Amino acid sequence: MGQLSLKEIKKVFGTFEVVKGVSLDVQEGEFMVFVGPSGCGKSTLLRMIAGLEHTTSGDIVIDGKRVNDLPPVKRGIAMVFQSYALYPHMTVYENIAFPLRVEKAPEAEVQRKVDEAARILHLEERLQQKPGNLSGGQRQRVAIGRAIVRAPEIFLFDEPLSNLDAALRADMRIELTRLHKQLGATMIYVTHDQVEAMTMADRIVVLNGGYIAQVGPPLELYHKPQNTFVAGFIGNPRMNFLPVHCLGASDQGVQIDLNGQSLTIPVMVPASDRSALQGKTLTLGIRPEHMAVGSGDVVMTATPSVVEYLGQNTIGYARLPDRNENFCFVLNGTQVMPENTTINLSFAAADCHLFDADGMAFERRIDLAQMTVPHADLVEAP
Amino acid sequence: MVNPFSRHDSTRAMIDRYRWWELICIYCGIAVFLFFMLAPFLEGFLVSLKPLEQLFSSPYTFWPENGSFAAYRTMWDSVPMFALYIFNSLLISAVSTVIVLVLVVPAAYAFARFKFKGMGLVLGGFLAVSMFSGAVLLIPLFRLMRTLGMLNTYWAMIIPGAAFLIPAAIWLLRTYMMRIPPELNEAAYMDGASQFYTFRRVILPIARPGIVVVAIMTFIGAYAQQFIFALTFNSKTEYMPLPVGLFAYFGKQEVIWNELMAASFVGIAPALVIIFFLQRYLVGGLTAGAVKQ
Repeated sequence: MGQLSLKEIKKVFGTFEVVKGVSLDVQEGEFMVFVGPSGCGKSTLLRMIAGLEHTTSGDIVIDGKRVNDLPPVKRGIAMVFQSYALYPHMTVYENIAFPLRVEKAPEAEVQRKVDEAARILHLEERLQQKPGNLSGGQRQRVAIGRAIVRAPEIFLFDEPLSNLDAALRADMRIELTRLHKQLGATMIYVTHDQVEAMTMADRIVVLNGGYIAQVGPPLELYHKPQNTFVAGFIGNPRMNFLPVHCLGASDQGVQIDLNGQSLTIPVMVPASDRSALQGKTLTLGIRPEHMAVGSGDVVMTATPSVVEYLGQNTIGYARLPDRNENFCFVLNGTQVMPENTTINLSFAAADCHLFDADGMAFERRIDLAQMTVPHADLVEAP
Repeated sequence: MVNPFSRHDSTRAMIDRYRWWELICIYCGIAVFLFFMLAPFLEGFLVSLKPLEQLFSSPYTFWPENGSFAAYRTMWDSVPMFALYIFNSLLISAVSTVIVLVLVVPAAYAFARFKFKGMGLVLGGFLAVSMFSGAVLLIPLFRLMRTLGMLNTYWAMIIPGAAFLIPAAIWLLRTYMMRIPPELNEAAYMDGASQFYTFRRVILPIARPGIVVVAIMTFIGAYAQQFIFALTFNSKTEYMPLPVGLFAYFGKQEVIWNELMAASFVGIAPALVIIFFLQRYLVGGLTAGAVKQ
């Protein structure tokens, strides 16, 4: 149990509409991540699911039952807060035991459940300490422990790792993923960090300005973003966008003109829409990591004004003529790139994304299943 | 230059380091300030040690000659009910403090946590009320007490005292409670706790240092202001609190100054002990580790 449905959820604060009609189905046992820029409504949405905020309209349904008017406990939901929200005057043991104390569980049961939670979260040694004596990561684990003991069907996480330093965040990410597998519960996780979203999620919900921009598994969002917002939001550094002129469309894709070079982008366009496209201005998207030096399907020149050497790769930022934003490209870490020197860059037509004037994507002709290494190859003897 | 006044100069933060002449100025300032604060107490104490005749000698001698603690013994004989006056003072202050705390703690929590219509108006009203001293309202209060039949009872000194202390106490505790992170309420709510359970098990323990401060302030306030109410609303000797009771040392012919001073110090002592005891609960940093700040 732990199936959640949102139906046309709206939330208005005063006259400001924060969540503008969100419908979503979360499957049992799924790890769902809400991601989006600040103010996109992701935290508000989570707080409505939790029962901390009223919904202005729409239904929240858990396991087939409308729960809009139920308190959090009756919904079978537990939440981990960004700020941990531990009770500072209680020991770790009492903090974890708090939900059990509220429901007046017998002492033996409290003992058993707290010990179990402490074992899962490696907090056995810390049970008699106060939260003030713990490190950030340990505090976050105590907060998770408090959520676990009630054995809820749905866990909610509100940016739980954003207060930790980078190394600890990476560790906790792995621990949380492991915990999800161990408990098998439905988890909804809010973050603004796309690395957390990509690494942990079964499916990602990208929110933009109170709407769902796209829902899908991480790699689908990366390879087949449905609009320019998702294309720009998922992937780091963000995708480069270039205006292009459409020359025509066929079964092979859309033929475009970019700075005098013509190429065919392999995307699907319904036959009925093809004639209207001719002569229109479209947006071409190319990810920085798909650029290379030297020759390719499309060759262009750029003069990087800033170069970042990360060891693993080298990132260059250039200003293209009459374009305001940075044009970014990621090259091999061994690539040396002098600043303010013009270089030749190229990319393949197959790596390109194409968006119409409204920012909606033409579906790329790629099969995600074929892009991964078949399982048989992994287990084959060398 | 090595600072002769500070042994830990090298371990101090730069912002806390001073030149030697700066330190001299600072300590001189402190000394002047302390002298003004403490001179009356010092003089009072020295007076309590002197024999009565020496007080009226001319020229006046500041330091007692053949001083003794005799006044601390004879004061009990001059005014036999003095112990009762001390008890009355403590009783009135203690009951006032309990009443104030019982009313103020939930009220301050409500003002700190919830938003409701007219909240700013009510808070502003509280501030306005605490600008009036009890003395301004003595005559209407007297009529009120007479109508309610409370003249010449302990309540005549307790209730107005408590009433005038409540507004300031609410402001003080509200500020403290606003610093308790609201996430703690939300977390407790997520865990199924009722408002009252959260208040009792989460908010009250965290607010304890703030409550102790309010208790001390109220106790001192009640101790200090009971004089005016006792003088006006009470004429029974057995209910007199300490400040009024001290008038008993004003004889028909002369004032027994040395015993009066001794009685003042003895009278303050129990209150000092209580405050010293309460102060031990003033542990700071109780919210450490609650939320990431």
